[in-house]
Amino acid sequence: MDARGARLGHQNLGLGVGLRSVHFDHILRTTPDVDWFEIISENYVDSGGRPRYVLQQLAERYAIVMHGVSLSIGSNDPLDHEYLKKLKVLAREVNARWISDHLCWTGVLGRNTHDLLPVPFTEQTLRHVVERIRIVQDVLERPFVLENPSSYVTFTGSTMEEHEFISRMAEEADCGLLLDVNNVYVSSFNHDLDPEVFIRALPHERIVQFHLAGHSNYVTHLIDTHDGQVIDPVWDLYRLAHQLTGGVSTLLEWDARIPPFPVLHDEVLKAKSFMGDNLPAEPEGAENTAADLVAAASSPTPHPLHHIRPEIE
Amino acid sequence: MKREPSLDTVQQWFQAVVTHPEGVAAGSAAEDAQRLIRLDRGELETVVRRSRNLTAEERLSIYANAYWARLLECLGDCFPVLKQALGEEVFDSFGFEYLQRYPSRSYTLDRLGESFPRFLEETRPPDSEWPDFLVDLARLEWTLAKVFDGPGVEGQVLPRPDDLAGIAPERFAAARLVPVVCLHLLVSRYPVNAYYTAARHVEEGAAAADEVPIPAPGEELVAILRRDFVVRRYVLSRPQHALLAALLEGSPVAAALAAAAAASDLDDDELAAALRAWFRFWTAEGFFHRLDE
Repeated sequence: MDARGARLGHQNLGLGVGLRSVHFDHILRTTPDVDWFEIISENYVDSGGRPRYVLQQLAERYAIVMHGVSLSIGSNDPLDHEYLKKLKVLAREVNARWISDHLCWTGVLGRNTHDLLPVPFTEQTLRHVVERIRIVQDVLERPFVLENPSSYVTFTGSTMEEHEFISRMAEEADCGLLLDVNNVYVSSFNHDLDPEVFIRALPHERIVQFHLAGHSNYVTHLIDTHDGQVIDPVWDLYRLAHQLTGGVSTLLEWDARIPPFPVLHDEVLKAKSFMGDNLPAEPEGAENTAADLVAAASSPTPHPLHHIRPEIE
Repeated sequence: MKREPSLDTVQQWFQAVVTHPEGVAAGSAAEDAQRLIRLDRGELETVVRRSRNLTAEERLSIYANAYWARLLECLGDCFPVLKQALGEEVFDSFGFEYLQRYPSRSYTLDRLGESFPRFLEETRPPDSEWPDFLVDLARLEWTLAKVFDGPGVEGQVLPRPDDLAGIAPERFAAARLVPVVCLHLLVSRYPVNAYYTAARHVEEGAAAADEVPIPAPGEELVAILRRDFVVRRYVLSRPQHALLAALLEGSPVAAALAAAAAASDLDDDELAAALRAWFRFWTAEGFFHRLDE
């Protein structure tokens, strides 16, 4: 890989974690040695209270990346320019290194399902998404990156595979990619596909960031719940992705049954073991045990679910 | 050759199917979906592929289940004490109806519960007082959430008690004492604020749930504001409420004092002493943004 072209020239920020409000006090008190934080944009764009205040403090010390769940780039509804404007204001305020969202749609006819819904991979969808990415990039005036979401269905009308769609989209719209390694694993399992084929097929120089997360195994299918450790096969895919890209900013997401901050931080630090030639004899990931399967049944809501509980005296 | 439905059609169809309250089979058979993509029973797999393990209906049901589970969980997070009062099953049945009547139209889940108090009011049974408790508790919890993350005055210099005490009475009476932007007043038909406090003790493990019965009806007046990013609650008397309500409406201090006097049983001297104490306390607690003369 030509280092000059890698990551579209964006910095490798190192190993970061998703900023969650339950960790605010710990982070402010201990200023942990985390390379960077990713925020859920929707939790902060309208905030006039403590969440935004905490974020402003953290932005003085840590690199911040904004990750959204409501852009709905694939929707046939018009883009929400009020929302885009708020993203832009917040990005300037916290010096966001880039802004990301998902290759998905969240609703039509003015509704928001608050889910990351799948698009059919067709020429029509590709034209539609590419055109909208260009508009978003023009408005945001900041690097824009799209993530492959976890999905649970594919459409008979699709005329190409997801990796082909994403590769063409990134080239034609000239945007970056956020490769969610866990999502590749989840979607590939659900669609009877080979996750390695997906990762090998992408334009690696356009991958700006990785996501890692845990998921829930329902035997017949996987659900992207972000509620546990990263499993070994996902770490193996991460190792492959790291080799193919030469290394990019890596972020761990944990959104349900959120553990204390040090547990979260330790989990992302495991990534170091998968980066070089000196791989550990015993991978440090977690396997899905029977207990995990049972536990998973109690938290069936797939990512995303993001709502900050207020502090009231 | 079969013509593939457009992206618009697929998306409208998908949304109609996975958000249908009776599930995917009913959703795909319903008129909204049939108008977009006409399918006979068992034909879902002409639109969505099956996988090795799951049928198209089972795969779509992952989205359908997630839709309701996610939004009900979030709604419960917005109204934790109401959910505790009703029990999860009853709360979710109200929530399920609510989400059908007021589906989210915002990019943020923070607005998901915005119309829930109104929904409870609209759907209340006509011959019972008890639903007032639910409506008022929902309004309290929504106001608390709004104040927590809405605009505030942290970092700004507010008047101190001595600043107001030093102003000549005539000047003070003619001025407008502007409350902070995060001050909200609530009038409730049940003592929901007291109930909220008691329920929080249950949540913190300091009391058992059966120690917090639904209270008897009774007017409760409460001021809510945020100071140092924490939401604070203050129970008010009628004259206190009348005074603050007048100030919030933008009335001059003299008119607000008259409103307080009209709502008070105290004699003039007692009221004058009480007013001094109230202004001193409220100013110290950060109720006021500035004095406009």
